[in-house]
Amino acid sequence: MKPRVCILRTDGTNCDMETFQAFKMAGAQCSMVHVNQLRSGEDSLSNYQIIALPGGFSYGDDVHSGKILAVELTSFLKEGLQEFVDSGKPVIGICNGFQVLVRTGLLPERKMGDIRCTLMNNDSGRFECRWINLKVEESRCIFTRGMTGQTISIQVAHGEGKFYAGREQMELLENDSRVVFRYSTENGDPTMDYPYNPNGSLNAIAGICDSTGLVLGLMPHPERFVSVYQHPNWRRGAIDYPHGLLVFKNAVDYCRGM
Amino acid sequence: MSIQEVRVVNLPDIPDTVGEALLYDICHTLGIKDITTVRTAKVYRFEGIDVNTARVIADRLLSESLYQKFSINKPILMDGEVVEVAYKPGVMNPEAASILKSAADLGVQGLQAADSSREYAFYGPGAVRENIEKVLQKLLVNDIVERVVNRKPKTLIMEGRPGVTVTIPVRKMDDSQLIELSRDKLFLNIDEMRVIQRYFMELGRDPTDCEVETLAQTWSEHCGHKTFRADLVVNGQRKVPLLKRLQEATRNSANPLVLSAFVDNSGVMAFYDGWAICGKVETHNSPSAIEPYGGAMTGSGGVFRDVMGTGRGARVIVSTDMFCFAPPTLDTGEVPPGCLHPKYLLRKVVAGVRDYGNRMGIPTNNGSVHFHEDFRAKPSVIVGAYGIMREDLCRKGSPDPGDLAVVIGGRTGRDGIHGATFSSGEMTDRTIDVNSSAVQIGNPIEEKRASDALLEASERGLVKAVTDCGAGGFGSALGEMGQETGVQVWLERAPLKYPGLSPWEIWLSESQERMVMAIDPANWEKVSEICRSYNVEAVVLGAFTGDKRLKVIYNGETVCDLDMDFLHDGLPQRVLEACWKPPEAGCAVPGPPGDWAEAFLKVMAHPDVCSKEPILRMYDHGVQGSSALPPLAGVDGDSPNDAVVIAPVYGKDFGMVVSHGLNPALNNINPYYGSLWAATEAVSNAVAVGAGPENLCLIDNFIWPYPDSESLGALDMAVDACADFVGATGMPFISGKDSLSSTYRNSGTLIKIPPVLCVSAFGRIEDIKKTVSADFKKCGSVIALVGKRDSTEMAGSVYCKMAGATGANLPRIDLKVLKEVFGDLHTAIAGGNVLSCHDISEGGLAAALAEMCFGGGMGCMVSIEDSDVPEEFLYNETAGNFLVELSEEKSVKELFGNVPCRIIGKTIPERMIKVFRGGKELFKIETEALREAWKRPMREVFGS
Repeated sequence: MKPRVCILRTDGTNCDMETFQAFKMAGAQCSMVHVNQLRSGEDSLSNYQIIALPGGFSYGDDVHSGKILAVELTSFLKEGLQEFVDSGKPVIGICNGFQVLVRTGLLPERKMGDIRCTLMNNDSGRFECRWINLKVEESRCIFTRGMTGQTISIQVAHGEGKFYAGREQMELLENDSRVVFRYSTENGDPTMDYPYNPNGSLNAIAGICDSTGLVLGLMPHPERFVSVYQHPNWRRGAIDYPHGLLVFKNAVDYCRGM
Repeated sequence: MSIQEVRVVNLPDIPDTVGEALLYDICHTLGIKDITTVRTAKVYRFEGIDVNTARVIADRLLSESLYQKFSINKPILMDGEVVEVAYKPGVMNPEAASILKSAADLGVQGLQAADSSREYAFYGPGAVRENIEKVLQKLLVNDIVERVVNRKPKTLIMEGRPGVTVTIPVRKMDDSQLIELSRDKLFLNIDEMRVIQRYFMELGRDPTDCEVETLAQTWSEHCGHKTFRADLVVNGQRKVPLLKRLQEATRNSANPLVLSAFVDNSGVMAFYDGWAICGKVETHNSPSAIEPYGGAMTGSGGVFRDVMGTGRGARVIVSTDMFCFAPPTLDTGEVPPGCLHPKYLLRKVVAGVRDYGNRMGIPTNNGSVHFHEDFRAKPSVIVGAYGIMREDLCRKGSPDPGDLAVVIGGRTGRDGIHGATFSSGEMTDRTIDVNSSAVQIGNPIEEKRASDALLEASERGLVKAVTDCGAGGFGSALGEMGQETGVQVWLERAPLKYPGLSPWEIWLSESQERMVMAIDPANWEKVSEICRSYNVEAVVLGAFTGDKRLKVIYNGETVCDLDMDFLHDGLPQRVLEACWKPPEAGCAVPGPPGDWAEAFLKVMAHPDVCSKEPILRMYDHGVQGSSALPPLAGVDGDSPNDAVVIAPVYGKDFGMVVSHGLNPALNNINPYYGSLWAATEAVSNAVAVGAGPENLCLIDNFIWPYPDSESLGALDMAVDACADFVGATGMPFISGKDSLSSTYRNSGTLIKIPPVLCVSAFGRIEDIKKTVSADFKKCGSVIALVGKRDSTEMAGSVYCKMAGATGANLPRIDLKVLKEVFGDLHTAIAGGNVLSCHDISEGGLAAALAEMCFGGGMGCMVSIEDSDVPEEFLYNETAGNFLVELSEEKSVKELFGNVPCRIIGKTIPERMIKVFRGGKELFKIETEALREAWKRPMREVFGS
């Protein structure tokens, strides 16, 4: 059986098709689900094994990026989402999806309504789209199994991606192996230097997971690198596999093993 | 209940990036050095709730306690000079709707209205009234849409009583009264006004304001393309109308890929596997000149809707932008009254394109910026969009009598009233005052929703016809869709942003993000349900009849009742005189530079040549995951490619290519050869990455000064060039647009833009794996120059411009040889024999070489033959020439034996460009120095 993925979308979601495609290539069976369908009861999160919150500008990113959707999910789907993560099913939030996850509280503490970290305006003050390097840290995250220690190439495209949390929370994330990705140089050294670190994220954090490793949020876009030909320099011959695909495969494999 | 105010600021130890960005501009753009800090606060206002409820909203929605704090009904920015900037009442703030939605999600009741704005506090010795006024005027407030808030508003709710329909007594007007009626409003000439007068005399009644306005916008240059349809007399000789010439050229090309040309909202060509692709390129010059952010946004939004409204609905997959401005370094005193500084325009236009494309999720991945001081009154802002749809849905649909006219998407406000007629008139210093209602702030999320709903309805076969509401609003959309049947409209059903609109305003409003569909009544419930599921408002605004009349009713009163035939065919065909005089040729070629390396650096730093990376970085060029050849690549990710290639159907190897070409400077010298250059450049860019010439279609955009006989003469030559290009290459134009109003006139000052022909090329590529990028791949490769050029043809080149040389000897492209070059280059690339390829354009061979070196992280050696003049060899800009990197020398003859081709050098590991002549080194220069010079200009403009 192919694991079923809920590609959760709403007004302004715009990376849904490529996220759908990435999970499909990874062997999942995907459905596009509008938040209205969940609110009305026409569909239910319990029909799925994985939730993906794709990138985009949900409700125009008005007020704060991802905030309006986060408030909507917290107001209407709190129990459903809490049950989903409590039952050990994976959730991934990419870019705007990551912003939504931290604003619901699902990251970093897997608790709806408990907001402990944030993503704020890039230090540059600008939206930026560029390919950068990510160091895959040793972490609890199930999405990065077999990738630990690698430096992967990936695209970022955001204006509000600076990861920020208070000191205690930062220490907890670091000590509990919940930092999954860090912005780094070509050699895999985490860095605060622009543009390698495109937004000024504390500790160069590009992605984190919860304490079970099942909820992942990251600013860069792994779904934009699931085929070699999506990389800007595949013609230079240095790319032998698409670096983003494994993230999705790991989630699918995890569900198969459940 | 009074208004509750919430103010939110970042905590003191958190950067305020909005304030920092403004401070950078204060320092670098205005040169005010002693304002030391700028802090900002978001201001939210609520009507209908009490202070406790405001606190709940502030705590749970507006402010994040991790890094922010808020105040309620009291100031939060202390000590400094504080000013608040907000949208003017009536300019819809897209954020307000989100706040209302989210407050409702939080369970808040009674909230009637909400708004948001921003406060700025200035600190430091320079934070004095005079400086702050300057900041407000030059950086923060555009009077068209924004204002400084001096006191708390009494209410946020907009009220108004609907205006009445007025009868215009045209029957008894004399010529001067008819002209007065037309001026600043209808933009029709006296002949056209007389035709309208005669029509109503025959009917025995006077028209309503709604009827006059409907005729004016349908007959506007913008919608009616009067000049392009006119009979021309060129230098005394009668010639075929311009539009007909282009259409005939396309017809004669008999290109089997063309599925729909010049009849729909965009041009459609065949793709693969049952798919079709389409393209449309639009201009938004007039609105962008007075409110660049909103103008560019609505330009992008409009062209996306053109693609969405093609066939029975298409998905937008590419966005492009081509701009012409005065140089960003223009002296402030040179900016004409009523106009904005080019640096401000450039930055705001880029921001508008960015915010619309990024939020809609359309990759903006092909574009360019061109500079000439005669764009200082009116810039050219060109935006393109491309789409994909099933081939069986790709042809323009038509309604049957009885079908419903359904409008979906945004609400109607007083936005863009007179946009169609306004953009058809000349710009004067009165333009900003009289026409400020012609601009609005777009709402890309509204359009994204509408697109999602439309695509689902289309996929399920529920859409019989679709078009967008653009210039002319409902009037234009329904007038066109119902042209063959007739349509009856119940105008009071249109959802409004606020009350108080007169019927004619509702009818002609150009509020964005609205689409009109023809739906079989049996399918209305399904369409309505789809729209509801995407949060899209949909109403039945009217029904298609069978009486060939355009009948508009507002609360029982007939406000418009016109014959479709008169509306669409009543416009008298113009007969226009055209005559082109060549400009007086000034001094010819400037001769060799004193310092070769310095000249090279200067060319790289010229605004037409320099890197546009800071612009591209702000566009999400990777969204949709379709990229197969991005706009920038190479070892450092900053080397530009000639065209973009995407693979829009996941899992398939076939792809789509998009490119363009334009050169206003050449059109000033000779519009025929300048236009040939533009078309050649567009196609060269596509062929350089691996597109097959037989798989390309073209789009034209003519942006011209007001067509007096001289400008019209130039236009005539440009159209001839296009037709000749089609004839010689077989590549058809399948969509186009003309905008013939780029003249500025003000008490004695007359500024005409250099005529712009922008040619866009798009097409299909069988296998994206058989495409190449522009970065050098290997050291020791052979560099070949492929293509025909007479390198003495230097006029219009950057090298000549820098020296102030104004000769007339411009590149005259040989179309016969060009076709061979395209064919052989394509064969070479498709055969996998080419490592990299770059087309030669602005900055010549030298700039192309430098960019290839940047991308490869290497250098090159180049030999100039004794018979060549080195500065001509390096800086000639004849389009249709290519630098090609090949592994071995012997393949050059095999691949390019039948076309002009020579080996000019090889790649080397050192990051240097070394130029030899007659065996001796002429000069050498480090590529890093070139790169630095090439990157600096736009970094300075964008502060990155």
